[in-house]
Amino acid sequence: MEDTHINSGNDNSRIAAKELMTLSMGPQHPATHGVLRLVLDLDGETVVKCTPYVGYLHRGVEKLAEHRNYMQILPLTDRLDYISSMSNNLGYCIAVEKLFGIEVPERTEYIRTIVAEMSRIANHLLWLATHALDVGAMTVFLYCFREREAILDLFERLCGARLTVTYPRIGGLKNDVDSQWLEDVYAFTGEFPMRVAQYETLINKNRIWLQRTRGIGVISAQEAINWGMSGPVLRGSGVPYDVRKVTRYGVYDKVKWEVCTGKNGDVYDRYRVRMDEFLQSNSIIRQCIEQIPQGPIMADAPKYTLPAKDKVLTDMEHLIHHFVLITKGPQTAPEGEMYVATEVPKGELGFFFVSDGTGKPYRMRVRSPSFVHVSALPRLCEGELVADIIANIGSIDIVLGECDR
Amino acid sequence: MTATELIKKVFFIEVLQGLALTFKHMVSHSVTRQYPTEKREPVPGARGLHALVRDSETGKEKCVGCGLCAAMCPSQCIHIYTSEGDDHKKVVDRYEIEVLRCVFCALCVEACPFGALALTDFFEYSGYTREEFYYKKERLLENWDKYMAGDKGREYFEKFWRPKAIDFRTPVTATSEERKSV
Ligand code: SF4
Ligand code: SF4
Repeated sequence: MEDTHINSGNDNSRIAAKELMTLSMGPQHPATHGVLRLVLDLDGETVVKCTPYVGYLHRGVEKLAEHRNYMQILPLTDRLDYISSMSNNLGYCIAVEKLFGIEVPERTEYIRTIVAEMSRIANHLLWLATHALDVGAMTVFLYCFREREAILDLFERLCGARLTVTYPRIGGLKNDVDSQWLEDVYAFTGEFPMRVAQYETLINKNRIWLQRTRGIGVISAQEAINWGMSGPVLRGSGVPYDVRKVTRYGVYDKVKWEVCTGKNGDVYDRYRVRMDEFLQSNSIIRQCIEQIPQGPIMADAPKYTLPAKDKVLTDMEHLIHHFVLITKGPQTAPEGEMYVATEVPKGELGFFFVSDGTGKPYRMRVRSPSFVHVSALPRLCEGELVADIIANIGSIDIVLGECDR
Repeated sequence: MTATELIKKVFFIEVLQGLALTFKHMVSHSVTRQYPTEKREPVPGARGLHALVRDSETGKEKCVGCGLCAAMCPSQCIHIYTSEGDDHKKVVDRYEIEVLRCVFCALCVEACPFGALALTDFFEYSGYTREEFYYKKERLLENWDKYMAGDKGREYFEKFWRPKAIDFRTPVTATSEERKSV
């Protein structure tokens, strides 16, 4: 791997000999998608060395989690990837349910799949908007926000918050969906493919777009795997790996959909993968709404889920459970270690728990796709032109809240 | 390069298609809201500023000072001070929320077993000093009168602030209607 790009060996002498220019890009740079800082050594317009500096948004989520019970950690996960907080909540809840051995009801699985895919669409819309803006297409930005707004409005009607939703709960959901909401989501998905066609009209064949994205930031399938990439970035290189297919959570095995892949592993292919995912997610939502069954939304796990409110004041057992769960967390958590991954819009999001049987995790570790992708940024950028850095950052779709945690 | 491709390239066909789309949007109606002048109603159940429920019978707060909301709050921004009153009842002396630290997750509302705390749908609060956001009990009760007056508060509780968990004795297979009737 080393010999394929320029960053090899001690390059201080090189900097002196070739009179490279060192440029600090970020952390307050609009095109670094947050507070990412890149230190670039430039030879003319060519990037010789690129060093990402992360940590500007470090809030110590993993450490905080050690001092919160399992229920209280949920709002923290909203703030990892705040662009698609629903997916992060879900990833956390699914991981904790695996740890506790809770089976959630079928209706909940359907609703979860619907909101996860809506959040995927919302995330990819924001990605397309900002990526296109970085590369030079202003109009797409405005159009994408129009649709993202529609999804956020639906989220607000669902749970009362637009961005940091805190909607799923361990063992279920905050509240059930009503049929009007489902109908409105269905109406949205009916119109959405037409919108995607509009975005494609604007940039798909546009010569500036093609020149800025084709053959830029190429990474081969083998190398992408070696770097630990996941999600659309990995699939852009032609590896059909999707956690939704591999581990089967939610109801992804009950609906028809395909894993979208690219061929060349360049910025353009990663763009194509996400554009195809729009339509796949759209069709998953439609099928879920058509199939959704009636039923309860909370799992029958009284040791881990809050009891129904009306029972709390009339029944002693319920009241005691309510108090213990809130003040101490679940007291019967199994001991051991558990890693559970889910496919969030940006890639594979994993939660690793070490549980010592108390109401709080002994250790929580988040495997965030953004962090892995940022670490591969030098590989993508070195040897290319300085303008392509922007296209590369956009194409790996990072959010620094999740990267720095 | 074939002839059609050449023609497409020379006449900027793909750029013209894109421009046609943008021009079409120029004459269609605008979706932008001019925010401060043109306000959007928050949807029912939106998670905004806190309110303490005023008991319509006693005219005082419903809260009994059990402290569950403070225990649940992930940002630890609720402070409750209680003392022993006449006939050994617990009296809530101070109930304070640091709104600037709140993340509006509504877990406190779910934790409260008495339905004594709610989130209103009001979200436009601003001020010049930090102290203004240190909400005292009186201010929180005022919020209830202001934003949840009449039946609205009760409806909100019915609709949004009841965790619909399962009852220990009802089987999982029961439909939601059956569970309601239990
Ligand atoms: S909404 Fe959440 S953060 Fe705010 S006071 Fe309630 S529990 Fe605490
Ligand atoms: S949980 Fe409810 S009753 Fe208990 S202190 Fe909080 S608001 Fe008051």
